[in-house]
Amino acid sequence: MSAQDLSIDRPARKHSLALSIGLALVGLNVAVALLTLFWTPYDPLNASGGRLEAPSLLHWVGTDRLGRDYLTQIMIGARTALIVGTGAVAIGATIGVTLGILAAFATRLLDDVMAATLDILIAFPTLLLAMLVVAASDSASLWSAILALGLAISAIVARLTRILAKRVLRQDYIVASRTSGTSWPGVVLRHVLPNIWPTLSVNFALQFGLAVIAEASLSYLGLGAPPPNASWGRLLQEAQGTVYTAPVGAIAPGIALVALVIGMNLLADGLRDVGDPTRGRSR
Amino acid sequence: MMLDLQSVNFGYSRHRKVLSDVSFSVRSGASVGLVGESGSGKTTLLRLLLGLERPTSGTIRFGDDALDPGDSAFMRRYRRAVQPVFQDPYSSLDPRQKVLDIIAEPLQSLRIAGPHKDAVAQALDAVGLPLDAMRRYPHEFSGGQRQRIAIARAIVARPQIILADEAVSALDLSTRIRIVELFKTLSASLTLVFVSHDLGVVAALCEEMVILEKGQVVESGKTHDILASPKHPYTQRLLASIPRMPD
Amino acid sequence: MSALLSVQGLTVRAGDKTLVSDLSFSIGAGERMGLIGESGSGKSMTAMAVTGLLPANISVSGSIVLDGQEVVGADEKHLNRLRGVATAVVFQEPLTALDPLMKIGKQIAEPVRRRLARDGQRPSRAAIDREVLDLLDKVALPQSERIANAYPHEVSGGQRQRVAIAMALACRPRLLIADEPTTALDVTTQAEILRLLDGLVRETGMALLFISHDLPVVAQVVERVMVLRDGVALEEGAVVDVFASPSHDYTRTLVDAARMFDEALGGTGS
Repeated sequence: MSAQDLSIDRPARKHSLALSIGLALVGLNVAVALLTLFWTPYDPLNASGGRLEAPSLLHWVGTDRLGRDYLTQIMIGARTALIVGTGAVAIGATIGVTLGILAAFATRLLDDVMAATLDILIAFPTLLLAMLVVAASDSASLWSAILALGLAISAIVARLTRILAKRVLRQDYIVASRTSGTSWPGVVLRHVLPNIWPTLSVNFALQFGLAVIAEASLSYLGLGAPPPNASWGRLLQEAQGTVYTAPVGAIAPGIALVALVIGMNLLADGLRDVGDPTRGRSR
Repeated sequence: MMLDLQSVNFGYSRHRKVLSDVSFSVRSGASVGLVGESGSGKTTLLRLLLGLERPTSGTIRFGDDALDPGDSAFMRRYRRAVQPVFQDPYSSLDPRQKVLDIIAEPLQSLRIAGPHKDAVAQALDAVGLPLDAMRRYPHEFSGGQRQRIAIARAIVARPQIILADEAVSALDLSTRIRIVELFKTLSASLTLVFVSHDLGVVAALCEEMVILEKGQVVESGKTHDILASPKHPYTQRLLASIPRMPD
Repeated sequence: MSALLSVQGLTVRAGDKTLVSDLSFSIGAGERMGLIGESGSGKSMTAMAVTGLLPANISVSGSIVLDGQEVVGADEKHLNRLRGVATAVVFQEPLTALDPLMKIGKQIAEPVRRRLARDGQRPSRAAIDREVLDLLDKVALPQSERIANAYPHEVSGGQRQRVAIAMALACRPRLLIADEPTTALDVTTQAEILRLLDGLVRETGMALLFISHDLPVVAQVVERVMVLRDGVALEEGAVVDVFASPSHDYTRTLVDAARMFDEALGGTGS
C-alpha cells in the first residue's frame, strides 16, 4: 500500500505528445508509401532532368547521377522501408511469440536449452546473420533481407515473450482460469497474450525501427533490395561519391530514415499506456 | 463423502517430502478448516485437491470416483463441482479483463448453457456487489471488493465445493470480518474447505478442522472439541501462541 | 522533563494526496506506544517521517522533535546521527531489511562499530566480534557463532527477524520503532518474537513505538495506543480503556471484529 501511495502519476500529456508526434511521423511515411502506388512526381527509373541538379521547383530535392528525381526515389524508399519493417516484424513476431510461449510452458530441461539457444542467436550480430542469409540465397532480394531480419527479430521476441509469459503464468488468475476449466490454449489466448501484449507491442515498434536501419545498412553494403527498388540505404551509398558536390542527395534519405525510426520509437513510447485499463496503476 | 483422502503422500523428490500419509474426509455440506503454518504442506494439499498436482501415492476420492487429473471427462465434471478462492485478490483477477468476463470464465470454459450475463448478475448479487461492477476493471475495486469478485467467480457455476486458500488473510480486519460472514452465508448451501494459518478465522467459520504440521495431520475433528481440549502438543502450542484481546 | 519523541501537527503529503494529517502524539523515555491502523491509515508513513526516511517527493510539515532535535527539515548528516542514537527500526519483512550478500555477523558488526566510534572508541576486531555474539545471545539465537557466519537466506524467517532486532539493539537506541515486525511470521514464531521484544524493552528501558494492524498483538506489547484511519488520529489512550470502551465507531468495529475471532477460539487463552 505504501509503495502505491508514494507513486506520483506522471503527467499524461507527455505520453500523448510522444504518441502524437510518433503517429504523425509514421503516418506521413505510410501516406507517402501508399501514394507511390498510384503516383510519383516523376518516373523513378528514367532520367527526368540533368545529372546531379540542385534542388529546384521542378526537382525539390534535386536529381541523382543519372538525372532521376531524388524526391521520387525517397518516396519509393519509404515504401521499401515500410515493407521491410512490417514484414520483418510480422515474421519475427509470429515465430518469436510462438517459440516464447512454448518455451514458457516447456519442461525445465527443454526451457534451458531453448533459453541458451536464443541467447546465442541474440549474441550473433543481426547484420552478420542477415548478410549470411542474403548471401546464401541465390540473389540479393528484398525478401531474403526481410526473412533474415525477421529471423533475427524472432530470437529477441522469443526471449522477451518467454520471460513475460512466465511472469504471467505465475499469477493466481492463471490457476483460477485452469480450475475454471479453461484449456491451456484458452489460457494463453484469454490471459497470457492480453497481459504480455503491451510490452510486446512496444518492443515490436522498436524492432521495426531497427529493421528499417538494418535494411538501409544491407542496401548500403549492396545486399539489400536490388536496383529498381529504391532503398534509402542504397540512395545513401550512391550519394556517397558526390557528397561534396551534391550534399542533398545524402542528407535527404538520411533525414527520412531518422524521421521514421524516431517516429516508431515515439510511437512505442506512447503505445505503452494505450489500451491498458489500469494505466500503470495496477500492482 | 464429498471428498475423501486416503494415505496421500506427495513429494517433489524422494528427499523433499511435502505431505506424508494424509487422510481425512469432508462430508457433503460440511465446513472444514485446514490449519497449518508455513511448511505444513497446506498449500500443496490444496493444489492436490484442485487437481493441479497428482499425489505421489494414496488416493483422493470425489464421491465415488478417484480424482485423476488425466481423465478429462472426469475433470470437466470436477472443475464444475470444485472452485477455488485465492489469498491475494490482486493476483487472482486478470487486470485486463472486465469483471463480467472474469466471473463468466467458468461458465464459458465449462460450456454451461444459458444467458451468462444473468448468472453473473446473480453471482454479483450473492456476494453483495452492485450490478454495474460488471462493466468495470479489477483495479477500480478495493481489496475486499476484489475478493468478492473472486468469490462470485467461484460460485457462478454453482459448484458443490469451495476451496479457499487463505482467502481472508490479505484483507484488513474490518474487511476480513465481512468476507468471513460472506463465506459463512455461502457455507450454508455448499461444502467449504478453508485453508488458513489463522485459527481464529477457522474457528469462526468452520465446524470441523484438520491441523497440519510438517506435512502430517496431527489432529482433526470438531472445531469445538479441539479448541476445548487440544490433544496434540503442536495444537496446544498453536492455540497458546495466538494473541488474545485484553479483558 | 520533555518527551523523548514529540510529534506536533505532523502532515505528510504526496502530490495532492494527504497521507497523514495534523497528527500529534508524544512518547516519554521508556514508554511503549502502539499505532493501530489498517492499510492506508498512514501508520507506516508516520514511522518513516519520525526517522526522516521519507523520499524527497513527499512533503512533511509540522514538527517532530526526537531526543531534543528537530527531524523535519533536518539535513541528512544530522539525521544519520540521530537515527542510530535515538531510533532504530525493525521492519515487517526481515529478508528485505538485510543485505543478502553479507554474512549476518558482519551486518550486525556495522552498527556496533558505528556506535563505538560515536562514543570515541577505536574497538579491536575481537571486541566487536564479542559484542556481536553477545547481541545474538540477547535475541536468543542458538549457536550464535554459526548464525554469525551464515547468510540471511540460510536462516529461518523468525531467526532473520531476531537478527534484525539484534541490529537495532546494536545501536543502543533510546526509541525502538517496530513496523509490523511479526506480520510476516507464523503464529508460533510471532509469539516468540513478541515475548523477546517485550523482554528486551523492559530490560534495556528503551521506548517502543509499535506499529500494527493486529489489535491483540499490539495489546501484548504496549501500554498506550493511538488509532489511525486515512491519516487521521481517531482516538488515543491506555490499551485497556480504548479496547474496553472505544469512543469512535471505527475503533468499535475493529475491537468487535477482533473480539469475535477471539471468542470463536473459546476461553482457552491466557
